[in-house]
Amino acid sequence: MPEYITKSFSPRFSFPQDPTAAHYMFHDDPYLMPKNSATARLFSLSKESGRNAAKYIIKEFPHFFDKILAEPNIPSLMPEICTPQIEGVSEEALRERINLRMVKASVDLFDQLLQAGTSISLETTNSLLDLLCFYGDGESTQEKESEEKEDLEESEVNASEQETPKRPPQRGSHPFASRWRENNNAERIFKIMPERNAHSYCTMIRGMVKHGASAKAYDMYTELLNDRHKADVHTFNALITAVPFLKDRFLERWELIKMFLNHMAQQEVQPNVQTFNAVLKTLRRCGGVGRSMAVPVIKEMEALEIEPSLATYDHLLSIFYRSADLASSGIISEVLDDVEKRSFTPQDPDDAKFFISAMQVCCDLKDIKLAYRLNKAVEKGDNWKFLDMDRLNSYWSRFFSLLCMMEQIDVVLKWYKEMSPSLFYPSPKNILDFLQALDAANHLEMIPSVWEDMKQLGFSKRRDLLEEVLSLMSRDQHPEEIQLAFAKCAEDIKTVHEQSGRDQASVEWTGSALGSVTVLFSRAGRTQDAWSMMERFQQINRIPTDLVMDEFLNCAKQTNSPDEAIKLVKLAASLGLPSSQKLKSRVEKEFKLSENQKKALESIQSDSDSSDSDSDSDRD
Amino acid sequence: MWRFTAFEALLGPEDYNPDVTLPVHSSGAGRNAVARNARRSSRSRPAALKGRRGCERRAEGAMWGRLCGSGRILLLAGAARHCGRPHRTQKLFSTSSVLSATEDEPTAPTDSTTKVASKEGAAETPKQKLLKMIGDMKVEVTTKRKFQQLKEQEIKKQATNKQEGLHGGSSTFQNSAEDVQRSKPLNPELVQAASAVASSFPHNKEQAESELLAQLRRHEETTDKQRRGGTINICNVISEMTVKRQSPAQRGVRISNRISLEMDEDGQRIKPGRPSSHSDSGRSLKAGKRLNIFTKASPETENALKTVSSPTIWDLEFAKEIAAVTEQPPRNGFEEMIQWTKEGILWEFPIDNEAGMDDGAEFHEHIFLEKHLKDFPKQGPIRHFMELVICGLSKNPYLSVKQKIEHIEWFRNYFEEKKEFLQEI
Repeated sequence: MPEYITKSFSPRFSFPQDPTAAHYMFHDDPYLMPKNSATARLFSLSKESGRNAAKYIIKEFPHFFDKILAEPNIPSLMPEICTPQIEGVSEEALRERINLRMVKASVDLFDQLLQAGTSISLETTNSLLDLLCFYGDGESTQEKESEEKEDLEESEVNASEQETPKRPPQRGSHPFASRWRENNNAERIFKIMPERNAHSYCTMIRGMVKHGASAKAYDMYTELLNDRHKADVHTFNALITAVPFLKDRFLERWELIKMFLNHMAQQEVQPNVQTFNAVLKTLRRCGGVGRSMAVPVIKEMEALEIEPSLATYDHLLSIFYRSADLASSGIISEVLDDVEKRSFTPQDPDDAKFFISAMQVCCDLKDIKLAYRLNKAVEKGDNWKFLDMDRLNSYWSRFFSLLCMMEQIDVVLKWYKEMSPSLFYPSPKNILDFLQALDAANHLEMIPSVWEDMKQLGFSKRRDLLEEVLSLMSRDQHPEEIQLAFAKCAEDIKTVHEQSGRDQASVEWTGSALGSVTVLFSRAGRTQDAWSMMERFQQINRIPTDLVMDEFLNCAKQTNSPDEAIKLVKLAASLGLPSSQKLKSRVEKEFKLSENQKKALESIQSDSDSSDSDSDSDRD
Repeated sequence: MWRFTAFEALLGPEDYNPDVTLPVHSSGAGRNAVARNARRSSRSRPAALKGRRGCERRAEGAMWGRLCGSGRILLLAGAARHCGRPHRTQKLFSTSSVLSATEDEPTAPTDSTTKVASKEGAAETPKQKLLKMIGDMKVEVTTKRKFQQLKEQEIKKQATNKQEGLHGGSSTFQNSAEDVQRSKPLNPELVQAASAVASSFPHNKEQAESELLAQLRRHEETTDKQRRGGTINICNVISEMTVKRQSPAQRGVRISNRISLEMDEDGQRIKPGRPSSHSDSGRSLKAGKRLNIFTKASPETENALKTVSSPTIWDLEFAKEIAAVTEQPPRNGFEEMIQWTKEGILWEFPIDNEAGMDDGAEFHEHIFLEKHLKDFPKQGPIRHFMELVICGLSKNPYLSVKQKIEHIEWFRNYFEEKKEFLQEI
């Protein structure tokens, strides 16, 4: 089909999306249908990992694949040629190796050429420097590996996966400071170059910043000035991002930024949007100075008619909303005003962070209206594309937490139904928030269905969630049918505690969980189940609370089972509980006991006499 | 020492139930959370009160997510002090099922007694109260007469409490309340000593004063509570915080918005004590000056700056990274087909039998080859032969246009070479 036809089919809203369906990429294989965010992440990579495996095989065993001709030939289905075609020692061969990004081979060849006395053109040397600086030299193979992988993956996979190997070195932050080694090949070649132009200096500076050698980069910049060259805009951008590592005090940092900007103006270098993003990114680490200087920077952008990218706004939000000081709520609505007016194309690698941090700010401000506005902005145009799988998940989970906190319960329920599996997989915290929202709105009867979802999401072994569910269910008395449903739920939870999985340990009982389950069974009139839970108290050396025992006694009374009641008194006595006396008298009063039972009850009394005095003194 | 916290104040003293464990919403409680807490406590009210345990839990009440820090330290300090007291009182405290109103005054340090806070109405909300309290503190520092007046009152109370301490056991709620109101002996020596203390601090005057204030508020709070049956004053916590705000070590403490301190990461205060709403109200993206570093480049210079050079590895990788930002896996079959088509995996539609034969020639160049016969004779056997040749070529799908022309070329050259022989014939 022609593309324009398929395109006209495809927009998101011409197909009403099925909110219960997983993402399209999971449709291939029912076995790889994710249930929670962890599996979703894993399975989303499955296709790509298969592709990589195939490529690895082709690379390792090329002799098995000698028939690689096709008519018509489809390059994207063909293995890439990674071996150099030009043999021998020549500048041509060097250039080919540089293009194939073979770091080590290029350096070797360069040295050979040098030894043979061949002069190498400035252009070729510069591109060799580019290569060395980009990969930080040295760890070329590993770097290259991941880099190559990236090239291959580029075709489809979501962005996050690609970026993970690459992000850390790009930040040029301290943990990676050691990556630029003293006198590495790049520095060596730079030194022996007969002539250097601005490009040689610039690429060195960029490489040093990228690989964490900020101080060296600054020195290199002074050398460049001494040689009367001009830096390019990318070099300035790199230098500005390196500022936090050059100066410690906030004001000094800002002075340095200003110096670089002034140099740009002097050297007639026009700044671009990345320049200002770099400035703002550095201002993020300048505390109060950042807060006061951010607005002038934005104004400067406006004056130069440079449209801010999403990263610009992201940095702004982080400058103004970093601390818990949330009084400056005006900024975010102004930012949203701007964002709503435009549609965005990616311009900066940090662009993708905007929507998440904006939602975080909405959460911090507890401003549901802002959050709705932001969500509108996400849906507008192609903005949704900025949220890849991981980001989508954290974005929605923040949004959902905010909804739970601030919205009416029916609205929350509507959102929950619409977004649960198709847009994101709730985190344990989301479920906790949801439970609390249900509690606040007095909709506890929903809990069994939430429990089902929890099982689906694989949270059935999260102790905090189990405790919350149980305590909510056991807190109040409900109508009978709800109690029955709760008891069923409690039974489920009981099996979670008791099943001994082959691969993972079962959840340990806690006193309160046991108590709640017992109460739930008792309220549903399941005396036997409740009693088996009571016995468990003794097994794990916990003590049931008075409430639990009272509930159990009520249940025994309702189902007319005095035996259980006597057993309870026995249990209480054997645990030496002070309440055993009270229970005993209750049993005597409220139950019709046979002679034998009466005797049994009497005998308990004599047993517990000694402990009685103990407990009395305890109470005093 | 009273160990009520603000959570109670919000619920009102009647609603207070120490047996409820409250979840700590560390990010501050939202609307629903408050509702929830309120409901919880009212539901389980019948549960027995258990003095000591309840007190401890209260100290960690949910509302204190925000006002943590020194507030809690203070309460703990109170607890520690409590431990040092006679055995008997402790016992009473632990077993008493009434709102445990044990007196702590006798053990409280006496050096810092100076004055009493103003009297707020019980109807004020805690927040208003809090703000007023802070406001009062600043005013009171300057108005000396009121200061002393208040001082005297406080001394009275303290003396009362001392007496009580001597009496030993008056621990029930009514008794102590009545005692306070009945007898209030004066202690002028203490008054003088305290005012001397307050005025003799050259540098830390403010600090000393507010410390004294803090102490006094605690006393005042005690009496107030006894009178009203347990309304609380959270000012003890607050005043403690204000005292400590000068130490950089306190940076981590996040106090509620109204009294939050603008702290620079360097450890220097930017705006000491000013309400932040004031400083931030003027901050907007619309207002403000520009840096004035750059000048807008005219389009000509902009074009001139754009030097045409082959993209470096930096450019390539940057482009790749940017593209990765918005890269999304296809959301449905159609998008997947679009993507495959772009990659060349799917046929381009409409189907075209020249797909993959990318020599850039149109079909008519393949078929109408007569124009290449210009150099041949117009008639005769050679012409006839060549017409047959192009007829065959036009039906041959395996050769490109160029090859076909080369083929014709070859014949032209051939006949050219053999021209002599042919003419002979």
